[in-house]
Amino acid sequence: MTPTIDLELILYITALGLISIGLAGVVLSQHLFRMVLALVIAEAGANLMLVLAGYRWDAVAPILTSLGEHPQMVDPVPQAMVLTAIVIGVGIQALAVSILIRIRQRFGTLDRHEVAAHMDAEIAQIAGTSRDMSQESPLGERPLPPLPGTPAASREGRS
Amino acid sequence: MNSMVVLPLVLPLFGAFLLPIIMRASVGVGLWVGPAILLYGCWILGNQWISGTAMPFSLAIGGFAPPMGINLYVDSLALLFALAVQLLGLIFWPFKLDPETARRQALMLLLVAASTGLALSGDLFNLYVFYELVAVATFGLISASSTGSAYAATIRYLILSGIGSVLTLLGIALIYSQTGTLNLAHLAQLAPEQLNNKLGLTAFLSILIGVGVKAELFPVNTWVPEVYATAASRVSAFLAGLVSKLALLIILRLLVLIFHQQEAIQVMLFLGILGVVSGELAAWRAKDMRRMLAFSSIGQLGMIFIALSIPDQAGLLAVLALSFHHLLVKSGLFMLADGWGGAIENLRGAAKRSPLAAIVFILFSLSLIGMPPLPGFWAKFTLITELAAQTSPLYLIGLAVFLLATVIEAAYLFRLAALLYRPVSEEKPIDTIPKPAGVSLVSASLFGVGLLAAALFITPVGELLNHVAGQAANAELYIDTVLAGTGGGR
Amino acid sequence: MRNLTGLLFAGGLGFMLLSIASGLDFGAPPMLVGEAIQSVAPQETGATNIVTSVVLGYRGIDTLGELSILFAAAAAAGLVLGRRHTTAGTLTEGGFVLRYGGAMLFPLLMTIGFYIIFHGHLTPGGGFQGGVILAAAFFLPLLARPGARLHHGMLSMIEGFAGSSFILIGLVALAEGEAFLQPMLIQDTLGQLVSAGTLPLLYLAVGLKVGAELAGLLSHLAQTESEA
Repeated sequence: MTPTIDLELILYITALGLISIGLAGVVLSQHLFRMVLALVIAEAGANLMLVLAGYRWDAVAPILTSLGEHPQMVDPVPQAMVLTAIVIGVGIQALAVSILIRIRQRFGTLDRHEVAAHMDAEIAQIAGTSRDMSQESPLGERPLPPLPGTPAASREGRS
Repeated sequence: MNSMVVLPLVLPLFGAFLLPIIMRASVGVGLWVGPAILLYGCWILGNQWISGTAMPFSLAIGGFAPPMGINLYVDSLALLFALAVQLLGLIFWPFKLDPETARRQALMLLLVAASTGLALSGDLFNLYVFYELVAVATFGLISASSTGSAYAATIRYLILSGIGSVLTLLGIALIYSQTGTLNLAHLAQLAPEQLNNKLGLTAFLSILIGVGVKAELFPVNTWVPEVYATAASRVSAFLAGLVSKLALLIILRLLVLIFHQQEAIQVMLFLGILGVVSGELAAWRAKDMRRMLAFSSIGQLGMIFIALSIPDQAGLLAVLALSFHHLLVKSGLFMLADGWGGAIENLRGAAKRSPLAAIVFILFSLSLIGMPPLPGFWAKFTLITELAAQTSPLYLIGLAVFLLATVIEAAYLFRLAALLYRPVSEEKPIDTIPKPAGVSLVSASLFGVGLLAAALFITPVGELLNHVAGQAANAELYIDTVLAGTGGGR
Repeated sequence: MRNLTGLLFAGGLGFMLLSIASGLDFGAPPMLVGEAIQSVAPQETGATNIVTSVVLGYRGIDTLGELSILFAAAAAAGLVLGRRHTTAGTLTEGGFVLRYGGAMLFPLLMTIGFYIIFHGHLTPGGGFQGGVILAAAFFLPLLARPGARLHHGMLSMIEGFAGSSFILIGLVALAEGEAFLQPMLIQDTLGQLVSAGTLPLLYLAVGLKVGAELAGLLSHLAQTESEA
């Protein structure tokens, strides 16, 4: 390893930095939409890491331009894998956003703890138990806004 | 004949793509598409199992020889799991008829295809793709119950599994940057030189945590109770029974083939112990049936992780025995929870309302805690003897925790069993006591019959599992089978 | 308490990543598989774009899995959002420039999308990139006229048939006695538009499927938003 800071090191640090910023964002943020966004950032870091795994500085894109001798090319496999990983990420994000829309419509909030509290209350209501505490629910009995009756029916009937 | 093995993986995808169109044209035809495909898959795999010639073998997809292309690796273990996937897909088929039937059935077909892929694939990145497909299909199936709490549980699961997939990708990138290959057999060849270092350990731990999300590994299992409490029982049963085992299968393959570091094994043992403790204690405290089952499943999988940390054939045998036992029992219990979901208190006197369900429940409970004639005893006994034979103190802690967990399990299961036979209180009419519906009761009893059959034929079943474990533990066999004729690609 | 866990987690993560960064060896990464593929891919698949031959040939089943994931996400989003077609006219109509700009861009985007799909085996691009552009072509009018709606039946027909034809092409190879998804009909015309055998067909299927899938997802989201 050369003592000077070269471009490659900066790229690696960027990739790892994106991953850690993203994961820290998921753990620390209180808002579900921000958690999803943080996940997108982390995913970008992981994808960058994957591209870097096959990158060569002295090489060209892996596309043949002439039939004869060709210059050295970068590894095509990680590029294909990143293509796959990006599309997978897009699909999951779209699904996450649509679920978030529904949560917001049902519970009127996207705050992580409030949603968790609503969820526990609803599970307990359906099961007919006193509330089972999950790790996410706030400690102590906080008064909860009343659940809108049977939410499924009232929403479905609206449109 | 061997090349037909790709069909149980591809045909469900084919059916899933076309199902919405077929359903639009004719619902009557559409309803038969999924079960027919799954039956055909069972037939192909069953045939393969019976003819059983030249197992294990490797099947190159696209005709590209393994280190370059992707291959399916078919040994008895993979085939067993693939067969289980198709069978359980058939048993847990979402036959409910409503406007969303096409979508739900398509998602179920995708889930089956992806699970089959997880069982068969021999390429690290391909495993990741199928793993994500399993995840997305289950998100859809969980949120299909369309309550607010199901959506909230799904999003929690989605975020955790997103963290998992980032870590898995990171691990894959690290492995690729060190070795330049992703084929498991090729990696196994290169691992002793290139992955036997700190970087390899980090890569393994990333993948362990990433894949551990579905295997209900200790720190990343917070999604489990809410998801199992809100999803349809069939979906929960498929997730707890099978998908968690397939995630375990990935970890098992990685351990056998690639990562042999002592630290990796110790981390897994440690997380397994924590999983057992947290799961069983939470199950003991749980007040509703589904949550109790969910927490108990975390505990059971922790036990399997403990077994997985014994790195030889005997440990593998314990893993397989515990896995298949848990698969039968937990699937059956979740089918019972289809009617008995909800608060445990409500189940007082339920035995009178449906005696068969109560008997099946007691059968499962006895096997789960390891009552001698039942297979659960045999599975647990294998693990205990193995743990006792180890010298490292951490294994002994594992043994102690394991025994303690069995006591706790017995406590909460028998508490429930006693409640079932408690006399019904006067003012409560008997019709209000919940009762498992006919179909779920039949499927639960099927699992019960399977359990009893395993108890009757415990010797041949044990020999079979031992043979399977021996084949799976043989890393050289794997490498030779996959890379034969290609000169190892080095 | 919760913050403490978060900080601990972030600290542990940072430590792990630092240890990775210090352990990485910055040099030419080993290209075992990559180099092998580079040397034989043009002959084996007939595509000059080696990434394409990896995506559709060597790792073809990954691509199939990826298409299935998009399909699963679209189906799951459809399940979650329901098939309601309430387009409340709450959103204001786009202005003149937006509407006619959208209309004018539509054929251009379609052309570019298909161009990129059909040249995926020769130049950078391919089914995914082209498919996204196709989806954009259909989504643009939707943004300009919030009242307009995509024909969901048509979209699901396209996505179903495109996805199944990808598998059918693979199954034909299986029926011919080859392996599943094996490239066939490789002509000796490396670098021409008609070359690389079945790969362009596969990419067409991928492009149509990705386009239909994304257009469906986006219009679902747009409709739900206007309804809320």
